[in-house]
Parts: sequence; structure tokens; C-alpha cells
Amino acid sequence: MVVLRAGLCPGLTEDMIQLLRANGIRTVVDFVSSDLEDVAQKCSLSYKALVAVRRVLLAQFSAFPANGADLYEELKSSTAILPTGSPSLDQLLDSGLYTGEVTELMGAPGSGKTQVCLGIAASVSLGLKQHVLFLDSTGGFTASRLYQMLQAQTEDEEEQARQVLGRLRLCSVPQLEALQRIQVVRVFSIYELLSALQELRDRLSQQVVSSTGPLKMVVLDSVSAVIYPLLGGRQSEGLALMMQLSRELKTLAREFSLAVVVTNQVTRDSSTGPLKPALGRSWSFVPSTRVLLEGKEATWEKATTQRLASLAKSPRQPTGMQVELDI
Amino acid sequence: MQREVGTLPLAPALRARLAAAGFQTAQELLDTGPCGLSKEIGISREEALEALQVVRQECHGDAARTAGGSGATRRCTALELLEEEQTQGFIITFCSALDNILGGGVQLTKITEICGAPGVGKTQLCMQLAVDVQIPECFGGVAGEAVFIDTEGSFMVDRVVDIAAACVQHCHLIAEAQQEEDHQKALETFSLENILSHIYYFRCRDYIELLAQVYLLPEFLSEHSKVRLVVIDGIAFPFRHDFEDLSLRTRLLNGLAQQLIIIANDHTSAVVLTNQMTTRIGQSQSMLVPALGESWGHAATVRLIFHWDNSQRLATLYKSPSQKESTIAYHITSHGFRDVQPPAATHSAEGAEMNPRKRPRTEEEKQ
Repeated sequence: MVVLRAGLCPGLTEDMIQLLRANGIRTVVDFVSSDLEDVAQKCSLSYKALVAVRRVLLAQFSAFPANGADLYEELKSSTAILPTGSPSLDQLLDSGLYTGEVTELMGAPGSGKTQVCLGIAASVSLGLKQHVLFLDSTGGFTASRLYQMLQAQTEDEEEQARQVLGRLRLCSVPQLEALQRIQVVRVFSIYELLSALQELRDRLSQQVVSSTGPLKMVVLDSVSAVIYPLLGGRQSEGLALMMQLSRELKTLAREFSLAVVVTNQVTRDSSTGPLKPALGRSWSFVPSTRVLLEGKEATWEKATTQRLASLAKSPRQPTGMQVELDI
Repeated sequence: MQREVGTLPLAPALRARLAAAGFQTAQELLDTGPCGLSKEIGISREEALEALQVVRQECHGDAARTAGGSGATRRCTALELLEEEQTQGFIITFCSALDNILGGGVQLTKITEICGAPGVGKTQLCMQLAVDVQIPECFGGVAGEAVFIDTEGSFMVDRVVDIAAACVQHCHLIAEAQQEEDHQKALETFSLENILSHIYYFRCRDYIELLAQVYLLPEFLSEHSKVRLVVIDGIAFPFRHDFEDLSLRTRLLNGLAQQLIIIANDHTSAVVLTNQMTTRIGQSQSMLVPALGESWGHAATVRLIFHWDNSQRLATLYKSPSQKESTIAYHITSHGFRDVQPPAATHSAEGAEMNPRKRPRTEEEKQ
């Protein structure tokens, strides 16, 4: 709903706008949807000029229809599947993370969401040599743990044998490079997050090939930490911002062929109800795939590293599939 | 410059009016100018000017970042973070088992939450940490100051005096054993009066005072830049009684958590919170779980749960981004928080090797 302004398109002059406004036509939508003959009469403007302006406005602001075959071809050529580094998780996600889609990991505190995110970032950066953007809103990003995971992943490769224990305190070269490919941005409020995403969009559209390189994955840990302070109470702006954020994430994923991974919390309805994902029904439409992570033991008396991952929503696999993960 | 109007930090009423008038991107707003803006949406010229200033700040911030300037963003590569972490210190707790499961001690720039039943030792640990953060660097500490926010009134100064005296004595013994120059120099400033004068104490009686205190904390910390620890003893207490609107409570708690993590990050300090326990009645049995609900569990980065096992106190690391879950036993003596002594007094020589920053213990517990 863009306001009509002089200079929006050639032929749209200031006096024209004043006349149109006097008759109640303020935005592009009003203009395009009104009967031009009528308008020409009421505003005493030339019909031809109005038609020309309308054509330009339509070309500028409307979307073009595309057919299914074209879309399919486009999808086949631009989507990639990123393996997550854990074969059982890959099985759950139908061979990996799809670019162009938003995937969500949810779980109770301590269930391993940050660990899985670190593992995925490590595997994409080391194995596929792609760049990863990690948006951290909880402060849970620990570089030493990431380094540990990278080391574990290169252990069975023969490069380990040929390592030169370099200058930087026992860091070895492929792991250093892998660490450099992971960019970490700490965002602690919704506005910071939105400006970080906007900056990313600007950078990608200008195709600044500097240290960022080909970005393939964006991890957001966690989305509920930035949105929760806005929901509840009597203000409804939280919902609007949440939808704005979801639109940003989805368009980023689709336009630049990125895989977007977000983590979410779980809440309970009452103190004994079952666990359900946080952020409510409106958010549940945003990710295309949802995985729930649970610890196997119910109490915290016994320590365990086993986690159960179950598929809660997916466009490709039957839901309810469960897989065990070891962290 | 293509920021959508909906993503800019403006007041909701203003945003609604802008959307109704048809503005979509920030660029359009800047082009219209304050007079045009105030006419279009019917607000006063001063308000229009303010709104445009906010928009301009955001857009310039974006442009500066895109052009490669660092600005105020907190972005870096994982490699830089790794180097930072390796040089960061920990706040030791004087209980080597606890330090080991935490990976060296309480980490800076992270929120640590301590949950436990009444009487298990949460406030004791907080007081111990407020003293330990001031240990000079040559002894393995971070040489910082502490802020103690008390909501329950359980801060006893005499107890802190005891703990501080034991800590100073410990350092003296090490200095004698090692006879190094900087040890002697550091000991001159590390005295009882000094320790007590560097613990900044605030008393908050209800949740409004607590929220106000936390919102004013960044200014305080910019003036006292040596603060490395913020303790909030009893974060559950003001929120647990007399709160009718539970969704408001969740919202306030989450806002508080966000503030705290911004403080922890910007001022490189550790934030330690203590929480109470509540009973959850399951199908067959009832369990003790930390209070304030599920969503609060995500606020803390590291979670420790203290509990009893027949008269032995145990600490379990329940949630941590870098360490495994494990349980250890600890002891509270007249000197403060300590390890449990094994029956055969084996000297922790391996302990010193595992954690090279830890100095060897030369004194055994003198009871």
C-alpha cells in the first residue's frame, strides 16, 4: 500500500497527485483498483495519462504469475541438501537440511538444542566448506565446545596424522579455517535481530564477496528468547513483530537459497500438561519441519547423554518418527 | 535503506498510523521529511522529527555495518571467539570438584543459575563467589569487584568476614610457600577491608525495585568498570507471591533475562542467580523442580541444582553448553564453601596438573 508520490513513475506529477487525493485516491492500490474513466471525469485529467501511469505502477508493484513446471525446475536447480553430520538426524530430516526452508528444533532446557546447532554448524563448515551465520540470543555459544566437535570430526581423517601443531596453541589448520567460516553475531533484542537480518540481506544482494564467502546456512538460537519479552500482557505488537521476523527469515531462505535453523522452547499448558512448543499457533506455521528433542530420563538425578529426537511436523516424512541421538 | 517500517523501533501507535497511511520502507519516511510526515499522519512536528531521528539512526547503523565498520554490533568469527574464551578467566569457588565440573569455575559472560531447597547452601556459594572474584590475578583469580543484589535479606556480613578472612589466609600461605615478588605486592592490597569495600550491596524489596535496579545496572557498571560478578540472591522470591497475571510474570522475567545477558556480555562479567524449588506432581510421584516455570529454564546458560542425599550435600550440573552433566559432593565449613575431604587425605596433585591455573593447596582444612 504505497502512498502516491510525485516521481514514483514518470507522468505522475504533483498536481495530479493533489487532484487524485482530493477525490480520495491516496495509495497505489486505490489508484489501480478504481475505474479510470470515472477518475478522469472527476479530476479532469486525461484518460491516456492515467492509463499510462497505471501500466507503470502495475509493472512496478504487482507479482507475476508463474507455472508449476517453471517452479519445479527452479527448485531442482537451486535447492541443496546439507547433511547435518549425524546420520540418524539426517534420516529424520529426509537426508538433511533443505535450503530454502526453515527448520525448527525444540526442546526443554538442557535437552541439547544448542549442542545440535553447534554440531550442524561444525559439520557444514568443516565437511562442506560453506559459511555459516550463527545468531546467538542466549549467550550459549561456546567456541571451545565447537572446537571440540571439530576436532572429533577430523579425528578419523588422515590429515590428523600430518598435523603441524601450529603456533596458535594446538589449533590445527583445517579446524582454524572451519572456525573462520562461522560468523557469530550476538543479538539480544528483536530490533537487533531484525537489523542483523537486514544487514545480511543487503550484503547478500550486493554480493560482497569478502570474508563472508558463499553463505549457506543461518542458525538462530533461540527465537523464543527474543520474542517472549514482547508477548503476553495486553500488547499485540509482539505478534506483529514475530510475523515480521518470520517473513524475513522465510524470504531470506527462499531468495538466497539458505537453510535456516531456529531453536525454540517448550512450555506446558498447566503444571502437569504435556509439553508443547512455545510461541503458539501463529509461529507453528512458519517452519516447515519441526523436531522435538527430549532427554531420556525424566529426573535430573541420573546423568545421561542420550537424547530422543522425534519429528513433529514435516512436509516429506511421516510424523512421529523417532531417532536416538548421542551428544 | 530498504528497512520495512514494521521493523523499526517506533511506538506501536505511531507504527499503526504509518502503516495505515501507506508507508512501507524507511526510505520513504526519510524522503517525506518531518513536515510532510506530520501532515500525512496527523502528529505534531516534534514527534515527527523524533521519529525520523530514530529511523535515521537505525539506517545509518545498518549502512555503517554493511560497509564494514564494526559499530556497536557484536559480530566476530568463531575463531576470534575461541581465542577470547581461552584467555578469559574463571571465578573459582574453592571447591575443586565443583570447579572441575564447571570447566574451571563460574564463567564470565554467562548466566549461571543455582537452584536448591532451602538451607542447602545457595547463599553461601554466592557470598563465597563475591569474595573469590576479588582474588588477584597472580593467585589465579580475576581481580574484579562484585555487585550483590539481595531480595530475601539473607546476606550476613559477619559470615562474609569469616569467608574473606579464610581466603586471605589461604593466599598468605601460598605466598609464603612460593615466595614470588608479585604475590607479595598483591597481598598488600588484598586485605579484609579492601574485600568488603569492593562488594556493592543493593537491597530490593519487591519485583518493581528489582526490575528498576537491573535496568539501572548498566550505568552503574560503566562507572565501576572493574565489576566482574553480579549476584542476584533470590530471583524467585519477589515473583512468586502475589502475582495475579501469570503471562505478565513470564514477560517480565524474560525481559529481565534479556537485560542480564546484555549486561553479562557487554561488561564481561558473570551473572549468578539463585532460584527456589517447587514441587511438581506427576502421575505416580512428585518431584522437586526449579521454580518460575519452564520458560525461565531457558534464561540461564548454566544451571546447577543443589540437593541433599541423606545429610551429604550434592551439586548436579544440569545444563551447560560445554560440560557434561555430573554430580559432586561439597561441604560448607566455617571457612566457606569447600570440597568434601576423602578419608585418606590424598593431596590433589593431579588436580593441579589438570587445571594449570589452580595453585596447589598447601594447607589442609584446619578445623
